[in-house]
Amino acid sequence: MAPVIPYTYIQCPCSDNSAHDNANDTHSQDSVDDDERTFDPRAPRSNYSLYPLEYLLYCEDCQQIRCPRCVNEEVVTYYCPHCLFEVPSSNLRSEGNRCTRSCYQCPVCISPLQSMSMTPSQDPSHLNADGTASQAGTYALFCQYCNWSSSEIGIEFDRPSGIHAQLAKVKNGGEHKITAKEIKEKRKENPDEPPIPDEQLDADLQFSTLKSFYQTQLADTNTAVTGMQFDSVGFSSPAALSRIMSLYTGHGHPGRKRQGPSDVMREALTTEEGLKTVDLDESMAIKKLQQLGWDETASTQQNLEQTEVSRFQDGLRPIPYLLRTKRSKRCSVCRHIISKPENKVQSTRFKIRLVAKSYIPNITIRPLNPTAPPVPTTSRPQHPEEPSLEPLKPYHYIVTFKNPLFDSIKVTLATPNTTPGRFSSKVTVLCPQFEVDANTDMWDDALKDDGRDRRRKGEESNGQLEAGKIWERGRNWVSIVLEVVPASLRLNNQEPGADVDKSPLKEDEDVLEIPMFVRMEWEADSQQDVGAAPGKDRDGREKRELAYWCVLGVGRIHHD
Amino acid sequence: MSKRHSILPAIDRSGPRPPVNFSSSLTISDNAILQGTHSITMQAETVIHPRSKFESHLGSILIGRRCLIHEQTQLGARPADIDTAKPGGVALADYVTIEAGCVIEAGGTEIGEGSIIQAGTKIGSGARIGKVLISLHHLELGVDFSKNCTITPMSTVAPGTVVPDSTVVFSNGTKRIEKRDISDQKKIGLIKQLAVLRKMIRSNPDKFK
Ligand SMILES: [Zn+2]
Ligand SMILES: [Zn+2]
Ligand SMILES: [Zn+2]
Ligand SMILES: [Zn+2]
Repeated sequence: MAPVIPYTYIQCPCSDNSAHDNANDTHSQDSVDDDERTFDPRAPRSNYSLYPLEYLLYCEDCQQIRCPRCVNEEVVTYYCPHCLFEVPSSNLRSEGNRCTRSCYQCPVCISPLQSMSMTPSQDPSHLNADGTASQAGTYALFCQYCNWSSSEIGIEFDRPSGIHAQLAKVKNGGEHKITAKEIKEKRKENPDEPPIPDEQLDADLQFSTLKSFYQTQLADTNTAVTGMQFDSVGFSSPAALSRIMSLYTGHGHPGRKRQGPSDVMREALTTEEGLKTVDLDESMAIKKLQQLGWDETASTQQNLEQTEVSRFQDGLRPIPYLLRTKRSKRCSVCRHIISKPENKVQSTRFKIRLVAKSYIPNITIRPLNPTAPPVPTTSRPQHPEEPSLEPLKPYHYIVTFKNPLFDSIKVTLATPNTTPGRFSSKVTVLCPQFEVDANTDMWDDALKDDGRDRRRKGEESNGQLEAGKIWERGRNWVSIVLEVVPASLRLNNQEPGADVDKSPLKEDEDVLEIPMFVRMEWEADSQQDVGAAPGKDRDGREKRELAYWCVLGVGRIHHD
Repeated sequence: MSKRHSILPAIDRSGPRPPVNFSSSLTISDNAILQGTHSITMQAETVIHPRSKFESHLGSILIGRRCLIHEQTQLGARPADIDTAKPGGVALADYVTIEAGCVIEAGGTEIGEGSIIQAGTKIGSGARIGKVLISLHHLELGVDFSKNCTITPMSTVAPGTVVPDSTVVFSNGTKRIEKRDISDQKKIGLIKQLAVLRKMIRSNPDKFK
C-alpha cells in the first residue's frame, strides 16, 4: 500500500533487541551504543516495526509503547457475526467454529442468506379469500444480492428456523444425506449388509467415519501396550496426537524400543471406516461442462469456502458463518492487560484500552507553504496532493506536537544531519527542544480564555524562520519548523566510495523519510504514593521519560 | 413555503421542452426534469420521483406501464462515447424499476419487463437488458418473454451489451441466470409500492405539457 504523504510512523521499541543481537553476530561491533545508532527506516526490518500512532497501545506498568507484535492476544468471546449469539467454548469443541443456528452465506457471492417462504405471498386481489390461510409451506434460503436460492440446488426446508440441523440431513438435489449415526444403526439391524457405495460417502460422513475409526484403533493399541484406556482422555489429547504422529514418522523415539504389536495400526478398509477411492472416470463431468458451459462451473474462490470441492455451481452448498472472536491484549513483558473489550457481543465498548494516543504526543507534519489547493469538505478525507520535491532546494515543514497528557512535557528531538540510505537529504530541526503545555479540559480552556497569556516572550518566532524558536504554540500543542534539502536521485552524484550501489531506483526509494528520535520528559503523580500520607502528596511527583524513534514521510523527490 | 433550503443546486430547466405523451394515471412530481426535442411517453400507473431527469435530445423516451423511476436518475443521458453511439433514445418496458442515482445512456437502450436496475448503476448506450429482439414474428407466435433482469447496485453495463433474460449482474460484471421464477411476486411487490408512492408524491403532469 502506498502511504499517504506526508505521514508519521512510530517505531515500536520491541524490535530493537533482535536487531542489536543480529548486529553483534555479524560485525565485530566497535562498541557503538544502542542509543547512538541511527534508526534506518529503509532497513528491511523496519517494515515490521513502524506503525501509525493509531495502531499502538501503551503499557502503563512498563511505561512503554506496545505494538501488535509485542502483545499477546486472548480470546474473550466467540460469537456469530450474523446472529451475534455468543458461543460457549465448550460448544466450539464439539460443534466446530461455525454458527450452528440458521446463519448462512451465499455460496455464489458470500452475501448473507435469508430463509423465506417458497409459496408466493398472497395476491392482494385474492386477499382473505378463506381467512385462515395455512402457513404451512416450504422454505428456502435466498440471497438478496445475487438472487441465488437454495431451491436452485434442490434444497428446501420445512421450517424457517434450525436450518443447520435440516441442512445436515439433505444433499444437494434434495436426496437424504446419510449420517454416521444412521450407518451404525443400520449395521446393528443388518450386520450382513454390504458397506455403502463410494459415491455416497461425502466429506462430512468420511470425516466422522474416519474419526471414529481412528478412535477405536487408538483405543486398541493403547490397551495393547499399557492396558490403559486412553479413550476417555479423548482423541484430541496431546498424548494421542503425538502417538498418531509417531506412527507416521517411523517410531518417534529411535532410542526407545517398543515391545509387542503395540503401534501396529491398520488403515481404513471400507467406506464405513472412511475409505473412499478416487473416481477417475470424469466423462460425466466433461459431458456436463460441454452442455452447461463455463458459467456453470464453480470458481476457485467459491470452492475455498466449501468443505468439499465442487466443479459445478450446483455442487456448492450454503456456507455457515465462521465465528468471530473478541480478544483482549496483554503486554508480553509484564503480562498486564492493556486492552479488554466488554464481554457482551453487542457492546463495542472496552473495559480497558490503553492506547498510545493518550500517552505519547501526536506528531503531524505539513508543508509551511502548501502549493496544493485545499480539499473541499465534501470530498474529505481525501488528502491534498503536493507536487514532488525538487532536489537540492530547501523546503520547510511545520511539525506539530500535540500533548495528550495532563502534565506538561519537555520534548527533545534528534535527527541525523543527513537521512540514511543511498540518497541522503539534509535535515535541520530549527528548534530541537521545547516544552508542550498540559492537556486541559476542553471546557476549562474555553471558559478561562487565557490562551494569550500563556505565550512566552521571546520563545516564539513571529512568522519568521529562526533557529531555536518554536513556530507556534497553542493550548496543548507546539509546532516547530523542519528544514529539508532533498538529495538528487542521480546515481552519479553520489560520493565515490568503496562500494557504491549503482542499481536502479527501488520501489519507494524516492520517498524522503526522516528518522527522528523523540524524547519526552514529564513529571507525573507518583504511583507509589497512592494511599500515602496526605501531606506527602505534593512532593509525590515522579520524573518520567519516554524515548522512541519515529519516521516522518515528507514527500517524493522529483526524478530528474 | 418552507424556510429550509435544499442543499441541492437549483433545478436547471433551461433548454427545449420536449413534447410529452402522458397517461392519465401517471404520477409525476413537478420536480422532475424533462428536457430535449424528441417525445417523452409515460404510460399508465407509472410513478416518477422528484429530481429524476429525462433527456430526449438524441431520441424519444418511452416509459412503460407500472414503472418506478427513483430520484437522481438520469434517463437518456448523453453517451460517454458519442461517436460510436447509435441513434435512438431509451425504452423501458412494463414493471421496470430504476433505483436512485442510475444513469441510463441514450442510443437505442432498452430495458425489458420486470427488470430492476439497482442504485447507482450505469447502463451504457445501446445496451439491451433482458430484451430478446421483439420482432413482429415473435409477437404473432405469442412467445412469452420473462425478462426479469436484476442489475445490482453500482454496476456498470458497457454500451451495446445484451443481457439475456433473468440475468443477475453482480460484483463487477459477474453474471448468472436466475433459476427461480418469482417475477409474479416481484410484480405484486411493485404494485404495492406504487400504490403507496402515488399517495405520497404530489403529481403535476400539467406542468410539462
Ligand atoms: Zn512492539
Ligand atoms: Zn449465527
Ligand atoms: Zn448471493
Ligand atoms: Zn508491560
